Amino acid sequence: MKKILLVIRSEVVNIFTRPSYLILTFGLPVLGFILFLVFTNLNQKETQAISEIFKESPTTVQTEGFIDQGGIIKNVPEFLQDGSFQEFENENSAKKALEDTLISAYYLINPDIYDTGEIIYVRPDFNPLSGNGQDWKMRELFAYNLFDGDGQLSALVQYPVDFIDQPLDPSITEGQDSELAFIVPYVTTILFYIVILSSASLLLNSVVSEKQNRVIEVIMLSVSPHQLLTGKILGLGFVGLLQSLIYTSVGFTLLKISGRSVEVPPTLNFSPSILIWGIIFFVVGFLIYASLMAGLGALVPNIREASQATFVVIAPMIVPMLFISIMLEQPHGPIATFLSLFPLTAPVAMMTRLASGGVPLWHPILAVILSLLTAALILRTVTGFFRSQTLLSGQEFKISLFFKAMIGKI
Amino acid sequence: MHTIDIKNISKRFGTNQAVKDISFEVNPGEIFGLLGPNGAGKTTCLRMVLDIFKPDTGSITLFGGSLDEGKKDKIGYMPEDRGLYQDIPLERCLTYLSSLKGMSKTEIKEQLDINLEKFGLADHRKKKVKELSKGMQQKAQIIATLQHKPELIIIDEPFTALDPINTQLIKDILVTLKEEGTTIIMCTHQMHQVEELCDRILLMNEGEKVLYGKLNEIRKQYSGSDVIIESPNEVPQIPGISNIEKVNGTVRVGLENSLSPQDLLQNLIVNNIQIEKFQIAVPSLSEIFIQAVTKDGIDE
Repeated sequence: MKKILLVIRSEVVNIFTRPSYLILTFGLPVLGFILFLVFTNLNQKETQAISEIFKESPTTVQTEGFIDQGGIIKNVPEFLQDGSFQEFENENSAKKALEDTLISAYYLINPDIYDTGEIIYVRPDFNPLSGNGQDWKMRELFAYNLFDGDGQLSALVQYPVDFIDQPLDPSITEGQDSELAFIVPYVTTILFYIVILSSASLLLNSVVSEKQNRVIEVIMLSVSPHQLLTGKILGLGFVGLLQSLIYTSVGFTLLKISGRSVEVPPTLNFSPSILIWGIIFFVVGFLIYASLMAGLGALVPNIREASQATFVVIAPMIVPMLFISIMLEQPHGPIATFLSLFPLTAPVAMMTRLASGGVPLWHPILAVILSLLTAALILRTVTGFFRSQTLLSGQEFKISLFFKAMIGKI
Repeated sequence: MHTIDIKNISKRFGTNQAVKDISFEVNPGEIFGLLGPNGAGKTTCLRMVLDIFKPDTGSITLFGGSLDEGKKDKIGYMPEDRGLYQDIPLERCLTYLSSLKGMSKTEIKEQLDINLEKFGLADHRKKKVKELSKGMQQKAQIIATLQHKPELIIIDEPFTALDPINTQLIKDILVTLKEEGTTIIMCTHQMHQVEELCDRILLMNEGEKVLYGKLNEIRKQYSGSDVIIESPNEVPQIPGISNIEKVNGTVRVGLENSLSPQDLLQNLIVNNIQIEKFQIAVPSLSEIFIQAVTKDGIDE
């Protein structure tokens, strides 16, 4: 036990005295703090809720021209009478206006529009990444005129129905800031992915660097593989957890001192319990992935090959990211439930579900039990090949080697 | 009881048979030399002794049993590939390595002050290890090996990167430790560096035992009947002298079986030859090694 504590202390001290870690852990929040203050001062008079940050900001209206050879456009709805459109007699005059930057683009509505349904959209700055400019306005204008200026009918045809979620529990009503219902679970998923991955990567770097500077040969003659591995996992886990807590605390502190509040929709179960679950799932997620990373570190000869092989280990953690849309739409559907219980995906996926709310208590409890059992199994397996002969072999790394090692075949 | 008892160990890496059926013992309080050219299998042997590699066959006994966690603290090991944390200050690195060997904070501080001073590193204790020269890192590695006053010291190529002064310093320290009862195994390909230190040796080549035993006996075994004479006079052609060869101001005289060195010396005195040096020509370890490996078979 004493040697485990010595390894823990050494790992923590080594990381805490590393400038890159200090900059990342304390420098980033300080930078964020400064930027937040600047931002707050610039917007001092506005006391908007944080949810409003995510709302669409007002955009500058750009005038676009059109040449109506089909004779469709007879009226412009009120909401588009803001200078969005300017009609031209012919294409030459529109083109000249475009060249003179009087308009930002123009539409050529052909006489055979009813047959083809095609409108030519002429823009000087075609950019596949910038979407389709303001063409949605032309759709609105076109539909409005197809229905002889009946805006209600036009809107119904374009957007036939609007589903309103009605929870069974009448005490729960959906808040106005439905963006947060998406953003909070999404951010939680990303945050957990980053936090677990970065903490587990510390372990990979620690093992590989001890191999590269050959100190491992001396260390292994002082401590057992189990003591070394346990000490590293606990020490670096503490460092990772501390970093996450610092980030979270700084985030909340910034919000508080700037006089803002997090306007959370009632549908979101964003209670203190989620913070506790967060810590629990961070710990089990870290245990699983740090053990896997340590195993990987034992097998790879250098940090370059370690980086290339990392994907193999983190692949299961990416799965919830791939299914995030489905998980957000159906947080209690079969895919989300399976991913949140499967030990390799549970730490990230369960947090996504918990952030969405309405998860039965036994789900996270079962997920934690399964994840802990898996972590223990992985730790035991990794300890088995975390011995000097493997650590010093320097053999070329192949993915198959990792899987062989995990099933005890080396 | 032997400190180390090794019986018939072998180790193969793929197609390379690194060690072939090696047996030897190391006695308490002796300096044992594990010698041989690069690739002879010395380091593999040491790593098997330290349970870093498992032997394919054979058995290894340390302090009367197998190596367990408790015995690890009795051993000081300096590997061939130097292993120190590069990005942390020297003092912290040595303190950590010492603490893992079971030393208390007070012991570490006390011993570290002495050792850093002795090895000329006291002024560099706050520097990062990577900022030290190779020679300094080598000395730091030796400190890490000796700090906890181990009963058994195993050092692989201890004189690499050291200048003559520091080489002598290390030699003196090893002799002192031996006098204090520490068992030392020294592994090197620089045979000339250890001839004066070792009590017994195992000379290896291509994974096999070439020579094994007390250094003096091996030398005697390989010393011929030549003598080296330094004299201002010409050495006369006495019956029983097979050849006379001048080498760097000395004369190497080959003797036939009929003439012993004592008879020759007596003869030279009778003939009023002024003798400044008269020495039985003892071959160096390198010469013995060359002789041994070029012969058919392996001598014990």
